[in-house]
Amino acid sequence: MSKINPEFADTLAKYGAFDITACFNCGTCTSICSLSDEDNFFPRKMIRASVLGQTDKIDSSLEPWLCYYCGECSTSCPREANPGELMMSLRRYLTARYDWTGLSAKFYTSKLWELGAIILLALFVLVMFILFAGPMDTTLTDQGGVKLNTFAPAKVVHIADWLMAASLVFFLTGNVFRMYWRTIVKDESVKIPFKLYFTEAWKFVFHFATQWQFSKCGDKIDDGEKKKEKTSTYWIIHLFLMTGYVLLLIMIVGFLNWFQTEEIHPWWHPQRLLGYYATTGLFVGLIYFTVQRIKKSSEKAKFTHYTDWTFLVLLFLTTLTGIMVHIFRITGLPYATYYIYVIHLMVLFPMLMIEVPFSKWSHLAYRPFAIYFSNVKIAAKKIKK
Amino acid sequence: MKQKIGVYICQCGSNISDYVDVDKVLDSVKDLEGVSLVKITMFSCSDSTQNEMVDDIKNEDLDGLVVASCSPKLHLPTFRNVAIRGGLNPYNYVQVNIREQGSWAHSDNPKKATEKAIQLVKAGIERTKYSNALEKTVIPSEKAVAVIGAGIAGMKAAIELADMGLSVYLIEKDFFVGGRITQWEDLCTVEELASDTVTRLYDEVKSKDNLTLFLGATAENMSGSVGNFKLTINIRPRYIKSDFNKDKIEELTGKCKTLTPNEFDFGLTKRKIVFKTYPGALPDIPVVDIKNAGDDINIINEFKDHLDLDRKDESITVDIGSVILATGSDPYTPKVGELGYKEIDNVVTFQEFKRIIELSPNGKLKYNGKDIKSVGYIYCVGSCQAEGNMYCSRFCCTCAISTSLSINKRFEKIRFYHVYKHIRTYGKQEVLYDQAGRQGDIFFKFDEDEEPVVSMVDGEGTITFNDLLTDGEEISVSPDLIVLVTGMVPRDDYKRVAEVFKAPIGRDKFFNEAHPKLRPVETVIDGIMIAGASQGPKSISESTKSALSAASKADALLHKGEIELEPTLAMIDTSLCEGSGLCIQACPFNAITMIDAGGKKLAQVEKSACKGCGWCLAVCPHDAIELAGYTNNEMEGMIESLITV
Repeated sequence: MSKINPEFADTLAKYGAFDITACFNCGTCTSICSLSDEDNFFPRKMIRASVLGQTDKIDSSLEPWLCYYCGECSTSCPREANPGELMMSLRRYLTARYDWTGLSAKFYTSKLWELGAIILLALFVLVMFILFAGPMDTTLTDQGGVKLNTFAPAKVVHIADWLMAASLVFFLTGNVFRMYWRTIVKDESVKIPFKLYFTEAWKFVFHFATQWQFSKCGDKIDDGEKKKEKTSTYWIIHLFLMTGYVLLLIMIVGFLNWFQTEEIHPWWHPQRLLGYYATTGLFVGLIYFTVQRIKKSSEKAKFTHYTDWTFLVLLFLTTLTGIMVHIFRITGLPYATYYIYVIHLMVLFPMLMIEVPFSKWSHLAYRPFAIYFSNVKIAAKKIKK
Repeated sequence: MKQKIGVYICQCGSNISDYVDVDKVLDSVKDLEGVSLVKITMFSCSDSTQNEMVDDIKNEDLDGLVVASCSPKLHLPTFRNVAIRGGLNPYNYVQVNIREQGSWAHSDNPKKATEKAIQLVKAGIERTKYSNALEKTVIPSEKAVAVIGAGIAGMKAAIELADMGLSVYLIEKDFFVGGRITQWEDLCTVEELASDTVTRLYDEVKSKDNLTLFLGATAENMSGSVGNFKLTINIRPRYIKSDFNKDKIEELTGKCKTLTPNEFDFGLTKRKIVFKTYPGALPDIPVVDIKNAGDDINIINEFKDHLDLDRKDESITVDIGSVILATGSDPYTPKVGELGYKEIDNVVTFQEFKRIIELSPNGKLKYNGKDIKSVGYIYCVGSCQAEGNMYCSRFCCTCAISTSLSINKRFEKIRFYHVYKHIRTYGKQEVLYDQAGRQGDIFFKFDEDEEPVVSMVDGEGTITFNDLLTDGEEISVSPDLIVLVTGMVPRDDYKRVAEVFKAPIGRDKFFNEAHPKLRPVETVIDGIMIAGASQGPKSISESTKSALSAASKADALLHKGEIELEPTLAMIDTSLCEGSGLCIQACPFNAITMIDAGGKKLAQVEKSACKGCGWCLAVCPHDAIELAGYTNNEMEGMIESLITV
């Protein structure tokens, strides 16, 4: 017997823009959704749970993460209740629920908290530079480049990187574990044989690397051809952006000594080629998504939560300052390089600290984990049958 | 005996001729005795064929007419008119049905269909031969109508009849007018108060010279037949003079101590024994409830000069031509324990809820002194039952939802839970359902085989059910007030009323109309009309519509001052009648009486009451009764020809 809590709708409303009271349970969203099948009435089940405030059910659901927001449910909803945006809001809500520190909920529901945290972390970086930065050497290297490693030695920054990466891993792992706990361990309907975690593991890697789930979007739609085209453009650009920032993350956290050098490598050097690939990916992606959101050209771009803008703006500034650091360094502008480098880190650090474990960027982990978990569950159910 | 009969065999396009060999039918009957003309027609009902028949009757001097075509339900009146236009008596026309009973029924066997058609036509010809010319009976009628019940339907009908110039007797059982709607006060879907509506109608009722209102009055007995009924009315005393001294009565009311549950508020409040049901009740004269006076009887006696204590029940008889039954309905009363009713404190019916709203102070909805912040409706209580009241009460969904909207304008935010079987805010009210959803009301749907359960859970009245909208999951809600959305049932005294007026009762126990589509406000008893919720659950606007139709039907019946009766009535051959009286027992319409004709007891048919059903014919041991239009000669002739191949 489950008790209901209709006041939950007011809480959820802070996480997105949708009209929960408009829903009259017709089920059109569910008939159009490619994720829905006879065992799983998606998104209807989630909508109803939201209307009734059945938070246990929402907390233990993986479904919101399986949805890549093709927006068909919203365009076909006869009541303009915007179920697609409700799913988006549930993802924001779930991100907040997985986070045990409670910071995520604060960032999602209070602009003040979000902005405050960014400024605080940026100031922290500034203070660290004031305290620990090397001298601003204006002499140039033999190649005419700026001696960046004198001002901010890669070895030292690398240590800071590791500390940051460790804390990101700490928070994110904790959150993913909470996701696992609620969606798998507490689900009494299915017992997972241990070996399935290994046999299904390739799905995590596969979906993480390819974002294949996108291809399901728009499956049930009549004018599929056109939609498919749109979906694949989105998919390619998203993949470009995603591989770009993952690559950068790997280079910064794992190989900073190799990535941040005073030596100016020839243009074909992997350090430069990889860097250019990554920054192009980020730029193209950011421009594409920003234009989409400004023009509201697709269902998923119609509403932009302030946390979405924060993410886009921070990532954009990070990319821009990163490129500037590179240009100033190889053209031999010492002060410009040093100041921009400080700014670069002042943006980069809050972006990673806030977005990766507590906000938008966490979906990088939650989505593939959700697909992995749900496949593990499906496999376990098959065995049971 | 008719000797010059015209027979027309219709092809009905090809509806008949595809399966019945009409030429063969023609050949089989053309040489029969008495037949002077046989024709095959494409469409007998077409204008040109009708004109041809009229000409034939005149030119050939026909004395009988047979059309073998479709069901008489469809075209009997058409061809009777043809007969009249040709100068024939319409009762010398006989319709033979060779379509519904011939070609359509036996499309798999054209040969047999043709044989059957031949036999039927032959029988029709035989009947025509022995048919008699009959004339409609005309009786004078009273230009007066009794309307039973002064609720909204009754008052509306009475006012309308008075406007049409008929004398009207409006008879109300209660001492105040308005009926059920006064208990609602805040009317649904319109922003109007019932007390205003009733005041307007009451003022109109009082303004009509030809309208007499009887309060505290019940119809006791009725005799006679359509156009000429005698209705006996019993009037109970109010015990307060109509020219009463207001101050004195107020003083009396103040001194009275005894309290009884106020029926008007379903016992939610108590009233004194000198009372008005609610402050605005009309007429503005209190009633003395002597029966429940208790110790207050002494106080009443103190004031006897201002009261009418000697008054007894009074009986009067009025002559009327027609009756409109507008007795309304009762709310369904759940059984004790049905969905927690009368067992769990915060379970009430919807009608009680409407009173709770009216009795709540401004800005705060209160019940039993407690603030109500959430309300759970359970729908279809006493309606749409698998067994019992199978009908839908029609008004409840709309009114319950309308109330959830209006209440939120009147009080602080109240959350509504709608636990429903079906939601039927039909017609223009569909928009209410939408509005309720948008105001944040939450809807749950239960399967009709799994009724919700109301029980105490952790000290709170709780509704538990399997919600079909949540994949059949078991859900429970514990609102501050649980409202059983109860439907309509007939008034508790419907049987008594039905007995007085011989009104037919349907399976649902409401009064039954003669035909749901074609005669929606008439009953099979001529002159007895039904209006409003006495016929079945209705909204106020549906009630007034039916009241207006009933009024116009009554006027159509009576305004000429005479009534035409079908001549197909029972006729008693006094030479054969032995006065057995069996026919009197058999007659369902009390149309036969026994008279004394010079020492001999003879049965006599009251023409205006006889419906020509034929029951008396079958029971008469002396074969002394014949039914005009269905005489023994006609019937025997038909049977003879049907069994002769």
